[in-house]
Amino acid sequence: MNRSSSNSGNQGNAGSGGFCGRTRREFLWEAGAGFTGLALTGLLSSGRLFGGGLHASPSPIAPGAFKNPHAAKPPHMGGKASNVIFLFMYGGPSQVDTFDYKPKLYSLDGKTIAVKTFGRGGKRNESRVVGPKWQFKQYGQSGKWVSDLFPHLSTCVDDIAFLHSMTADSPIHGSAMLQMNTGRILSGSPCLGSWVNYGLGSVNENLPGFVVMLDPTGGPISGAKNWSSGYMPASYQATVMRSAGEPILNLKRPEGMSETAQRRMLDTLRGFNEDHLRTRSDNSQLAARIASYELAFSMQRHAPEAVDFSQESEATRRMYGMNDKRTEDFGKRCLLARRLVERGVRFVQLYAGGAHNDSNWDAHDDLVKNHNYHAGRTDQPIAALLKDLKQRGLLDSTLVVWGGEFGRQPTAEYATGTGRDHNSYGFTMWMAGGGIKGGVSVGETDELGSAAVVDPFHVRNIHATVLTQMGIHPNELSYFYGGLDQKLVGVEGAEPIHQAL
Amino acid sequence: MTNSVRTHLNSAICLRFALTFLGGSLVLGETSANPKLQPASGAKERVHWAFQPLRRPSVPATAPAAAAQERMGKSTELERRPVNPIDAFVLASQAAKQLAPNSRATRRELVRRAAYDLTGLPPTLEEVAAFEADTDPQAWEKLIERLLSSPRYGEKWGRHWLDLVRFAESNSYERDGAKPHAWRYRDYVIRSFNADKPYDRFVREQLAGDELVAPSVQEEADGLIATGYYRLGIWDDEPADRELARYDALDDLVMTTGQVFLGLTIDCARCHNHKIDPVPQRDYYRLLAFFNNINHYRNGGATDESPIFSNAAEKASYLNLVREIEGKRRAMESVVAEAEARFQRSLSGSLGTNQLEGKEFEKRWEKEARAVVGDAVFEQHREARRVLPTLKVESIPVAKALVVSEPGPAVRETFLLARGNPGAPGEKVAPGFPTVLNPPEVTIPSTSPNNGKTTGLRSLLAAWIASDGNPMAARVMANRLWQYHFGRGLVRSANNFGLQGDLPTHPELLDWLACEFMASGWSVKAMHRLIMHSETYRMSSGGREGPLKADPANDWLWRFDMRRLTAEEVRDTILTVADSLNLKMFGPGIYVDIPAEVLAGQSQPGNGWGSSPASEQARRSVYIHAKRSLVTPILETFDMAETDRSTPVRFTTVQPTQALGALNGDFLNRNASLLSGRIRSEVGNSPQKCVERALHLATARKPAHDEVERGVQFLFGLRDQERLSMEDALTRFCLLVLNLNELMHLD
Repeated sequence: MNRSSSNSGNQGNAGSGGFCGRTRREFLWEAGAGFTGLALTGLLSSGRLFGGGLHASPSPIAPGAFKNPHAAKPPHMGGKASNVIFLFMYGGPSQVDTFDYKPKLYSLDGKTIAVKTFGRGGKRNESRVVGPKWQFKQYGQSGKWVSDLFPHLSTCVDDIAFLHSMTADSPIHGSAMLQMNTGRILSGSPCLGSWVNYGLGSVNENLPGFVVMLDPTGGPISGAKNWSSGYMPASYQATVMRSAGEPILNLKRPEGMSETAQRRMLDTLRGFNEDHLRTRSDNSQLAARIASYELAFSMQRHAPEAVDFSQESEATRRMYGMNDKRTEDFGKRCLLARRLVERGVRFVQLYAGGAHNDSNWDAHDDLVKNHNYHAGRTDQPIAALLKDLKQRGLLDSTLVVWGGEFGRQPTAEYATGTGRDHNSYGFTMWMAGGGIKGGVSVGETDELGSAAVVDPFHVRNIHATVLTQMGIHPNELSYFYGGLDQKLVGVEGAEPIHQAL
Repeated sequence: MTNSVRTHLNSAICLRFALTFLGGSLVLGETSANPKLQPASGAKERVHWAFQPLRRPSVPATAPAAAAQERMGKSTELERRPVNPIDAFVLASQAAKQLAPNSRATRRELVRRAAYDLTGLPPTLEEVAAFEADTDPQAWEKLIERLLSSPRYGEKWGRHWLDLVRFAESNSYERDGAKPHAWRYRDYVIRSFNADKPYDRFVREQLAGDELVAPSVQEEADGLIATGYYRLGIWDDEPADRELARYDALDDLVMTTGQVFLGLTIDCARCHNHKIDPVPQRDYYRLLAFFNNINHYRNGGATDESPIFSNAAEKASYLNLVREIEGKRRAMESVVAEAEARFQRSLSGSLGTNQLEGKEFEKRWEKEARAVVGDAVFEQHREARRVLPTLKVESIPVAKALVVSEPGPAVRETFLLARGNPGAPGEKVAPGFPTVLNPPEVTIPSTSPNNGKTTGLRSLLAAWIASDGNPMAARVMANRLWQYHFGRGLVRSANNFGLQGDLPTHPELLDWLACEFMASGWSVKAMHRLIMHSETYRMSSGGREGPLKADPANDWLWRFDMRRLTAEEVRDTILTVADSLNLKMFGPGIYVDIPAEVLAGQSQPGNGWGSSPASEQARRSVYIHAKRSLVTPILETFDMAETDRSTPVRFTTVQPTQALGALNGDFLNRNASLLSGRIRSEVGNSPQKCVERALHLATARKPAHDEVERGVQFLFGLRDQERLSMEDALTRFCLLVLNLNELMHLD
């Protein structure tokens, strides 16, 4: 099955497979005129929009007249997961100080050794070792070694598959961020969240299918490029959501506009628009646009409900650390992520860390201070998220991904201090839930933790694993653009990480 | 299975699908009988319609023409006249399908359609009324001439071109830094369209403006600014692999040039032979060889910036300054050199032949030189050393442009890279045009065209692309012109005329248009006249049961397709209706207010985004600073072009975020207030008159009685039920009016 669609500018004919039995071109020029951000035309086809209590007047819009490209679609194959929460540890956490236990590294502290590294400071052949700054202990039935940075998360290791042999193509934030999010180091391609929504559609009509939540210090570098839909329509890009204030841009009615006044306005607007539609009833875009106003109105009610934490028990809030200044922000966002997943949002991405330097995991100077700070803000909330999902029976269908755009070197960046430079030769990510095998560790770095040596995996394999768990065949999910069937995992394709499945 | 076999199969499948789709009715141009076509891969790819030489098809005669005459005869306002050949082609294709075209659109629909198509703005109510009342048989032609001569025309059509050439003013990636002087390229494009610059010249300027002979200083400046084309793409200032980054930049040029000027996805052959089209990997590197001498982009400095002048006097005075500075510098340098040489000679006795250098020399000079060279020379030396750093040509205040440059006339060798890997160079290749187009050989001239500044290779490429001998340039551009008028091209995949692209619905019409385009001297405005004078362009957009069933996608052009306004048109229309649009042209980009919530997505909120005064913020959207990672929300939600790569056709999405912004966003609400104020000042406080005026301004149509009544009831409802003042109620109604489907769509 080839889920091909097309960019209007570059769509081909049915050369490599049709879309639902129709050519790409038909898909675009008929239904494509109604590309919708959310399942708005679903409202129309289900007849709920104009049939219910909101309006009495008969509508010229025939129910069932719309095909909605964003409606939920059947997956390629049986998928274990229906939702993803990607906990993006922006800046790049150090593997040897977190989950990749390297006992020999402690005694090498301060010694200059031969080791090939490549970071923002360029390529080097030898450097001074910075020994791990935290002690490791074993946890769970799996006996997984975890550093003291994660007293809470260490209690969840039997639900987690640790991926110790990750590699990426760039040790520079800008391009590495783009690769982790879009698969390519070049700017301009759609994000993992865009691909998932493109492949599976959305099941919630009142919320976006791809949500990003940013750190209070700011966005990651390159900003919106990290949640862009690239060459796909803008409706596949992420919506930025906030856990406080106005959750979505322009959700709040302007000063002096009450809900009833707005309702009155929308009813009158609809009157004009339906008159206009009456002689143009074959134009599905006009009807879709009428529906989009109803959906916007409904989002104004439902999105604030999603961020209304008063519905959560005190115990839940405490579990996420919302009573502690240190964990409050990330705890809120983790809890919101769970609430969004419960409401059917396909892909939620949370940035732990923002802006520049020590506002994220980018520990170039004082490793201890940096990692204590960022682990301290996120450890309890993440553990709470895993446990909460599990106790609600949601972990089986929710794939949680943890990791940065790369890891860090086992050696020092500067002549003095504990700061580590970037490292894309080997780093650790982990996954839990969504059919991922718990309590396993996959792949290995060398004894310094500097480069992946056993079963190395690439960012592509992470993407392939996510798609596979969602029931999408990574090598078949394609989008025709620029003369090519573009794929998230690249034209060469990629396998999921089977050891974790 | 070998590559070539697989390619062959794919193409065969592709072709079959294409034929099936078009009902097998299409004749694929020339056959492989042409002895000149030596197949590079398979003969079947070579007979693909787009690779055939361009020949002027004869215009279909009689029957369809008679039908057109008859149709026009029904129209009371029209005289009988010769049928526009476009109509003859379209009617002929419809006759075969037994489809009949729609009748003419109303005058109101037509004036609105033409105004938006040519200027991107709504017509004023006076213009609508004047056109509706104009009994001159040439009324339509006059209208089009007026619109074509409006400066607004270049702002609309320039924007189409900016979409194609991935125009943006920043680099993307971590810093997303601003490109120097990129706005001049935008202005150049607008000016070129307004001046109806011949398209072949326009192409040559962008690809090789620095190598062209310029008859005037202004044209010389245009030629330089135009080469900003090469500098508009994304640029990672901190690449993980510098050599790969250089090839990525070259790939951007091969991709953009191939798709935009030739309609070919040659970039698909970077790592291996093209999987679908007969483009061998060697052809990719042969095309790359034309660009391989370009200095890699550095975001400014002597290799990316060049002085430009608006007149000969300015240039002369600049050159005088340069000579003056260089003369002074030479003089100062010789003062320094002579004094220091004297000092060195005096030391050489004690030092042997060794010369002192660096800090050691400085120390000795300060201590001992005065005694050796004398007070006067010592002081002259001191003064010369002080002045020298200020004698820089770069510090002369002069306008600059973002330009391409090369290190000199020497041609850098180009190698085919195995699997696209810069570390695996293979066979050496010479510059060459895509072989599938049966091009001439490239002869590299023995002398550089511009005093040895460049190799001259790019002007060879430009000359061939913009020539009669290349079938693609005219075909691809004629198709784009059609697309921007009708909403889609005769070939829908406007950047891809290859085997995986769409077949033309009207191949003869396309070739005829391409021939007309060249015959007109590549005049874009002549093409607008030709197309817009046709009955096909003037048809109504109404749906009819029979044709809707037989041809729902309107492949056979039995009606004019409705369209939504583009992102820029949406924003500019709102400003126009609210009477706040500022028509100031040109200059550095403006910064409109962006909500803090959106700025919060930046790693340094607000970084790289300025603040323009309110009147500047009310300028046309084409002048908003184009920052890759920060797109103005109203433009982004209404499907502004993505700027990292060429955008041949924009999406038209419908999203609730559009509605949320239009209901609750600052921009709409601010302009609703302005509109409300405008209306009250124009018609007073009568609810009827206010409602009527608001609807009239938004739709260019006098509203019906019950529409006015609906609006008035709305005002009273807000007053009585919501306790709003009538003024506030009118502002709400104005917001409603700015959200009308009728305002956002063209018939």
